[in-house]
Amino acid sequence: MKLLLALANLLIPVAVLVFATGFFPYKPFIPGLASHDQLSNYGPPPERHFDRLIFMVIDALRSDFVFSNNSGFTYTQSLIRSGEAIPFTAHATPPTITMPRVKAITTGSIPSFLDVILNFAESDTSSTLAAQDTWLAQIRAGRDRENDGRLVMYGDDTWLKLFPDMFARSDGTSSFFVSDFTEVDNNVTRHVPGELQRSDWDAMIMHYLGLDHIGHKAGPTSPNMIPKQVEMDGIVTSIYQAIETQPHLNSTLFIFGGDHGMNDGGNHGGSAPGETSPALVFLAPKLKRLPGRRESPVEQTGGFTFYQRIEQSDLVPTISALLGFPIPKNNLGVMIPEFLPLWQNPKDQLNLLLRNSQQILSIVKATFPAIDFSGSSTPDLCDDPSSDSQALACQWSTIQHRLDTYASSDMPISIVLSGLYRFCKDAQDLMSSTASNYDLSRLALGSALAAIATILSSIAIFYSLLLTNVDMFIFTLITILFGVMMFASSYVEEEQHYWYWISGGWIAFLRFRSSQKKINMGQIYSLKSQASIITLLILHRIIQRWNQTGQKFAGYPDIVTSILFQYPAALWTLVTITYLVAAHQISYSLGKHLHYGYFISTISAILLTICSLTFKLSFTASDAPELFPFLSNTSITTLQSLPLLALARTIFTFLGAHATILIAQAIRAPHISAYAVLSTAQSLLTLLVMTQSRAHNIPLFLLFSIQQSCLQNLKLTPAQLSATSTFFAHTAFFAMGNSNAISSVDLANGYNGVAGYNVIAVGLLVFISNWAGPLWWSVAGVAMLAEQPEQPSAGGRSWIASEHAHLAGKDEKSQEEPAGGELKGRYIAHLSMATFFTSASLLAVMVACTVLRTHLFIWTVFSPKYLYSMAWSLGYHFLVTLGLSGGLWALGKKDV
Amino acid sequence: MATATTPFPKVDIRPVSSLDSDASRLYTHIHPLLLLSTYLLQFKEIVADPESALASMLIPLVVLQLLYNVVCLPPVGSPTAKPSTTKSIGKKKPGGPVGAPISKRITTSLLASIVTILIGTPILTTLLILFGAPLTTHFRHTVLCAAHISLLAGLPLTYVHGIEMESWRRISALMLPIDEVFGAAVGTILGAWLGAIPIPLDWDREWQKWPVTIVTGAYIGWAVGKIAGRYLLHGKIIDLSG
Repeated sequence: MKLLLALANLLIPVAVLVFATGFFPYKPFIPGLASHDQLSNYGPPPERHFDRLIFMVIDALRSDFVFSNNSGFTYTQSLIRSGEAIPFTAHATPPTITMPRVKAITTGSIPSFLDVILNFAESDTSSTLAAQDTWLAQIRAGRDRENDGRLVMYGDDTWLKLFPDMFARSDGTSSFFVSDFTEVDNNVTRHVPGELQRSDWDAMIMHYLGLDHIGHKAGPTSPNMIPKQVEMDGIVTSIYQAIETQPHLNSTLFIFGGDHGMNDGGNHGGSAPGETSPALVFLAPKLKRLPGRRESPVEQTGGFTFYQRIEQSDLVPTISALLGFPIPKNNLGVMIPEFLPLWQNPKDQLNLLLRNSQQILSIVKATFPAIDFSGSSTPDLCDDPSSDSQALACQWSTIQHRLDTYASSDMPISIVLSGLYRFCKDAQDLMSSTASNYDLSRLALGSALAAIATILSSIAIFYSLLLTNVDMFIFTLITILFGVMMFASSYVEEEQHYWYWISGGWIAFLRFRSSQKKINMGQIYSLKSQASIITLLILHRIIQRWNQTGQKFAGYPDIVTSILFQYPAALWTLVTITYLVAAHQISYSLGKHLHYGYFISTISAILLTICSLTFKLSFTASDAPELFPFLSNTSITTLQSLPLLALARTIFTFLGAHATILIAQAIRAPHISAYAVLSTAQSLLTLLVMTQSRAHNIPLFLLFSIQQSCLQNLKLTPAQLSATSTFFAHTAFFAMGNSNAISSVDLANGYNGVAGYNVIAVGLLVFISNWAGPLWWSVAGVAMLAEQPEQPSAGGRSWIASEHAHLAGKDEKSQEEPAGGELKGRYIAHLSMATFFTSASLLAVMVACTVLRTHLFIWTVFSPKYLYSMAWSLGYHFLVTLGLSGGLWALGKKDV
Repeated sequence: MATATTPFPKVDIRPVSSLDSDASRLYTHIHPLLLLSTYLLQFKEIVADPESALASMLIPLVVLQLLYNVVCLPPVGSPTAKPSTTKSIGKKKPGGPVGAPISKRITTSLLASIVTILIGTPILTTLLILFGAPLTTHFRHTVLCAAHISLLAGLPLTYVHGIEMESWRRISALMLPIDEVFGAAVGTILGAWLGAIPIPLDWDREWQKWPVTIVTGAYIGWAVGKIAGRYLLHGKIIDLSG
């Protein structure tokens, strides 16, 4: 049985990885830097219109911030009216977070979903664009490949990480404390006047973060939003006026826009219309030559679309054409047709579009090596093309034919042009739809492995003596129901409701079940149990409303926003109480289980707690100073100036030291029980997860530990304890504000105590801070399992229970309470259940992702869910349930 | 606390049989149809304005449930509510309970409805909130929802079992043998609980709003539970102690 279980657990990571490699589409990547080819019949590329580029990204600049009536961009709007500014809504494909978006607007490709993970592991060299063809690389390589171009960069340091050694001058700002609305931007703006005076650069890139911070902090309707827009419009004004007046800037193209938008809550990452609709504006005096004039401000035409809606990647070939560079090799963007009239000769326009289509075609060919794109597709293949790629090949052969013949026939050139444009757009669509890229055999293999793991773990459960009862039946039912739910996008988005609902029902089930047992034994359901059940339910209800999460009800009032943020004194009181309780538990377990002695254990606990509380105060003072309305500005500044790095390192060092002593003692001393090891570890872990949680979530750990003591009062069976900790772990995950959307990953505590960038450390800290609740419940669950049934619980039996037991003439020992010998099998039983749940839910998510791979929401709902499933199965199940809890269990003695 | 082994008085834990009369046999089948069709007719109004529609539906609900009690069920403590141990197969012979005098049935039924409304509703409101009902908003909706659940599930239960502690202890442990009254009660609660399922779906329908799905689930669950309790599961016990 143990063998089956071990096998199942080995299969889980294999299944996860096999499936992942088949699911996240392979993008053909063409290395090297593009160069201008001579096109036969069309000659060299047409002349450029601009020499210099100023590229200004305003993070999260949603379309309506610039184009609507309620906008601070009045100067920009006047330029739109005069025709010097050409406005667009540039569609940002999800994931709408900065790094993949920067990749899209520099390479023109559509970043693979793996970039989301790499976004959190930014310094991973495989994700830099140093080796890729971008318009930055093209500019740097120089127009005639003789004189290197020079680029300068100010703002978000994502650019510096993506383009190491690219910039001649730069000053990066990091987006760490979102409460900083002004410094991040002033740090960019202060470089602008100086750079505008100089003529030694070919491209200047700026990336402003303040507007995004305002969004994250207070949403798009924040009172700070319009002033920030006015500030940004002021920068646009100064740059544009410099272009108009300074001779060395007179052929400068100025582009500004957002990398993504934001939703009504001010967050981004997903696919809501607000998130995918950033503004994009091209400005230059020369653009007045283009025909047509636009109104401004205007009303949106639906879904945050203003003016023409283009793809964000279309920016890339457009920049290339306007500045006279070859189009980067991996570009999937299509030259924005609005700019074509700048070239008056239609042959030049044809030349540009033909270069664009040939460049895209080379990627299409690399993706579909089996399809013949030579232009000689036979008509019988094209009458009824078997696939979209075949249809595209046929379209290409039509174009080839037209190109060959239009000069000699009387076909107007506009037909050839529109055919070429159509081809580019269709190729772009084909390459953006990812359905063609799945490796189905790997998807099937991954799912099959998960299925085997599920079967193996269910056999393990079936043969476990501890688990054959009605509890297991309900647990299996809940697991299956969860699996079914993974096929409905709403339930994936709103998964929290399932766990809140199931956990409530489960508590009721526990009540029914144990009161039936009591009735069968002729006993009363004790007042203590009754009170514990009701307390559990009340706390469960409070925990659910702590943070609103999911999509549908995300902005609704919750305890954090309507109580704790309104009355910060209440927040800090609760936080302090939680810390006091944690300190008490640490000193108690250090003294009792590790025999530190009263003085040392108390001092250790107080030191740890003070460090952690100070760290939280200082961190919050920087991150959210408005949570200290009762402090003077100087006190807040003092708090902010505390050494965060040193504090965090002190906490981690102390915790590590205690953990080492715990392990050493457990190995050496013969009489440390599993319960002693686990409860000591739990008290230390509590402090760790509190340090890694946002201040407003810290009181949750107080509620969790009250729930834990209620559960201990209830004297649950091993299966019930394991099931309860699984359900409560999931409840806790969502109650802390997490969801199945990428945008809800909280990075704020990922750098605690880390000075440089260290993928492993940051990854681990991000995992701990996002899975803080589940982590706590996993260890708490196993700690409860390890409780020796013979030991009277700390509070002793309540008098009512003992009186009834006395009246009943029975001792409570005769109840279904496992004997000491059974303790040994308990962790294996627990692991069987956890493995079963993990592999079954993984299987469900895999099958859902495979079956629904053409679903509209595959990239916005199901793929993120798969990423979360990976974290649940590799991080939570493998590292925590198996590694941490299992390791702690193994350390303690089961027969003392 | 009578004896050492079983400290509690033994209660009659046999399933309740409905009254053995033609009227009873007829009305027990008409009743769910009447109640469900009333609900169905009101459904549009409930969706449009849950508060006033649910409030005005309380009156027909009480009236129908009272009628059902009086016509079909033996009131608490009625001596004839005993099982037909000497059950004769003869058609017209009174084999099952024939019921207490009509006056007792009416008074018990009225008392039960007062108890249900005054005690059942607050308890169920509390439970609904504990199981996730909104607290700061929609409070009247929740109270009305609780009133419907308590009249559906609790009124016949109170009428049949009175306020006998041991019976309610068993009811709270789901441990009574299933009959049409207890089956309906369990069905109502389960239906109301399952009624929460459609709320998070992104269908953006009016009927997804609080507490329409819960009340609908309760009504459906009640009817299913009543029928299943009378026929399919009669006499069985929900055994969760294994």
